[in-house]
Amino acid sequence: MKETRRKLMLAGAMAPVVMSMPGRALAQAGDYYKDKIIIINVAGGASGGHTRYARLLQPYLQKHTGAREVRIVNMPGGGGLKAANHIWRAKPNGMEIFFGNASTLILASLAGSPGATFDPTKFTFLGRATSEPRVLAVGGKSAIKSIQDVQKLKRPFVYPSQGTDEDFYTMAVLSDALGFKVKAVTGYEGNADTALAVIKGDGDGHITGWSESRGPILAGDKHPVLMVTSAPSPDYPNIPIVTEFAPQAKREMVRAMATVLETHRSYIGPPGMDAQAVAAFRAALNAAMKDPGLLEESKKGNRPVAPLDGALQQKQIAELTKASASLSPVLKAAVKAIQ
Amino acid sequence: MIEAIVAGLAALLTPQALLFMLIGVVYGLVIGILPGLGGVVAMALLLPFTYGFETAATLALLLGAHIATIWGDSVTSILFSVPGSAKGLALCFDGYPMTKQGQAKRALAASATGALLGGVIGAIFLALCIPLIRPVILALGPSEYLMMALWGLTVIATFSEGSLMKGLTASVLGVLVAFVGMDVVTATPRFTFGTEFLMEGISFPVAMIGLFAVSEMMKLAIKGTPIVDRSLVREESTVWQGVRDGFSHWWLVVRSSLLGLWIGVLPGVGASVAGLAAYAQAVQTSKTPERFGKGAVEGVIAPDATMGANEGGGLMPTLAFGIPGGESMAILLVAFIGLGVVPGPDMLTKNLDLVFSMVWIIVIGNIMVTLIGLGITPWLARLPSLQANLMVPIVLAVCFVGAYATRGHIEDVLVAAVFGVVGYLMDKYRYSRANFVIGMVLAVMIERNLHISLTLYGNDFLLERPIALAMLAFVVVTAALPFVRNWRRKKRALAAGAASS
Repeated sequence: MKETRRKLMLAGAMAPVVMSMPGRALAQAGDYYKDKIIIINVAGGASGGHTRYARLLQPYLQKHTGAREVRIVNMPGGGGLKAANHIWRAKPNGMEIFFGNASTLILASLAGSPGATFDPTKFTFLGRATSEPRVLAVGGKSAIKSIQDVQKLKRPFVYPSQGTDEDFYTMAVLSDALGFKVKAVTGYEGNADTALAVIKGDGDGHITGWSESRGPILAGDKHPVLMVTSAPSPDYPNIPIVTEFAPQAKREMVRAMATVLETHRSYIGPPGMDAQAVAAFRAALNAAMKDPGLLEESKKGNRPVAPLDGALQQKQIAELTKASASLSPVLKAAVKAIQ
Repeated sequence: MIEAIVAGLAALLTPQALLFMLIGVVYGLVIGILPGLGGVVAMALLLPFTYGFETAATLALLLGAHIATIWGDSVTSILFSVPGSAKGLALCFDGYPMTKQGQAKRALAASATGALLGGVIGAIFLALCIPLIRPVILALGPSEYLMMALWGLTVIATFSEGSLMKGLTASVLGVLVAFVGMDVVTATPRFTFGTEFLMEGISFPVAMIGLFAVSEMMKLAIKGTPIVDRSLVREESTVWQGVRDGFSHWWLVVRSSLLGLWIGVLPGVGASVAGLAAYAQAVQTSKTPERFGKGAVEGVIAPDATMGANEGGGLMPTLAFGIPGGESMAILLVAFIGLGVVPGPDMLTKNLDLVFSMVWIIVIGNIMVTLIGLGITPWLARLPSLQANLMVPIVLAVCFVGAYATRGHIEDVLVAAVFGVVGYLMDKYRYSRANFVIGMVLAVMIERNLHISLTLYGNDFLLERPIALAMLAFVVVTAALPFVRNWRRKKRALAAGAASS
């Protein structure tokens, strides 16, 4: 009896400790970054879009992580590969985080780019800040008016390109999935250069972010023929979506491509990142993305946010590896064709 | 149109707009003087502070800062042979020799006046040419850019005094360095030796800092004398002399400004090419090309006038098509979006007063820069007479910080040091550093545009592009002109010699 009472007393004394354990773990995760310095390595120059988003989110991340400072460090080079290679080798304590276009990393790796020294699926995906749909647009005065016209062309579709960026890879996948030939003309300096080539008629069409092509489309200088997204949007109801337009046999591949593109501006940690750091950063990012201050600033500065939870993103990337078997040879063939 | 011109000016004559422009100009001058930082960084850092203000004030702040960096760049090129960015490089060729000859005040004032006149002439022509902008942009393409790059190459002969072979060797070295990194056409790594850093290529401004500034400091450290030893060379020039130079070479200024405007209008042709093309044009059209590279004031005026006008031209693709012509214009486009302004063809019809506001910002901003610049020139001109033991550590520190700031890579500091040694050796053994730079700038431009021309139009691309063909004829004529002039001069001298004997 005495023994039982003692056990009960012990259990009673232990109960608050045991019951508070999950809370304490969460609290520990919540405090993980408290008074520390987080370095965000932005994969691009000071004037680029990634930096603008990183700076938009910086004060809100600081607020919700409790960090002493969230420091933005620009690490341009190799279309984001330099920053990605750096974070691949970084200490997994969560103090250094990559911010940039996650799709470029995944595609570079799938295409066997010599600059990609990492396995993108092993990174720790912490969440997405924004994603912009990509659009295939032709010149406003072009005889091509629809994606069906592209498929019916008796010659290759002339595609002015800056080189092996995500749009180049997307075009390679579209050509394979929709069954038309592409003549990639590489060497253009940037999107301004390829856009002018399309408007002039030197090239048939090119792929850009929706916001980049919106102005020329409204002005009649360009005409959209296909959206490379996984779901339709009320913003462009009349433009076909690649995942609905592709033949059944190729749908898995184009869906994989669209998923890759939709990873867009994300926070990524090194492989095997500390579990507490992962939980703390994901929670802080989710809270920051809902912060009324951020939402107001995003609206005022016309920098829309489109959050995606890190855990969900990690799952999507893992699933993507299954589909990558079909993507990889297409991307490798496209690179080989220009070499 | 007159209404739009007046409305554009009226929008700027508010206390907020004028104050913002002054802040932008002063800030831009400081940023421009720091090597490695240029107009793009100046605008990028200002962007977060632009939300919620008047449209004209916001544009005055951003464009004012951008315009001011041009002259800021020129200052360090002229005084210390430290190009603040790729744009300021052409100023090293004649500006620095002028400083060494005790003409720093004249060079700085000529440079500021050149930039002012270039900016104003560029803005006037820009306003007049608004209806022509779209057709001009659409008429020119990769084949025409290729011809412009070939024209830039002709200046190699100017810097090959003594030995054409040494001049060509220096250019080839520049070409080889430009090819380090990912090939822009085939996405293949070249000369990278498997290193991640070299995959990005050698940064042009970093190489320039090494070749010109670090090597000059090495020379000073070895000699132990200042850039200008006042006991041997007195500063005898005046600010007024430089201002007069700018106005007396008005025809050179007009030509250079139009060239700058044109280059600015073409996306894909960088400002570093603009400076070199302006210099090439000044040399090719001079009656005394042999003075260039040794302190000819025309070599200072032409690049500054071109770059002053270049800014206005750079606005055009952004306004006419909503396509940013360069990084700085991409930032401006973001500001437009933040202000609720949609660039595109409508901008040139429905929002014309805003376009003219920008034209006025260029004019007023340039006037502010020049007035401030001329005011501080006498103080700036004293800097090169600092003793070597003080000058060398200060300039080297600024150079290495600038090399790091260019891309944020610590490896670039090493690259600047290596190029410093290369520059020192080239200078010692009389291999032209200018030719090295020309090879480096134009190599990738030629490679890109030749590849695109051949892929798009085939081997006979010149027959398909009549403008490019006409430009090629122009290149051949202007390249041959100095040789023809020399040949005639020698012939005349021979004839005169024969007659006197």
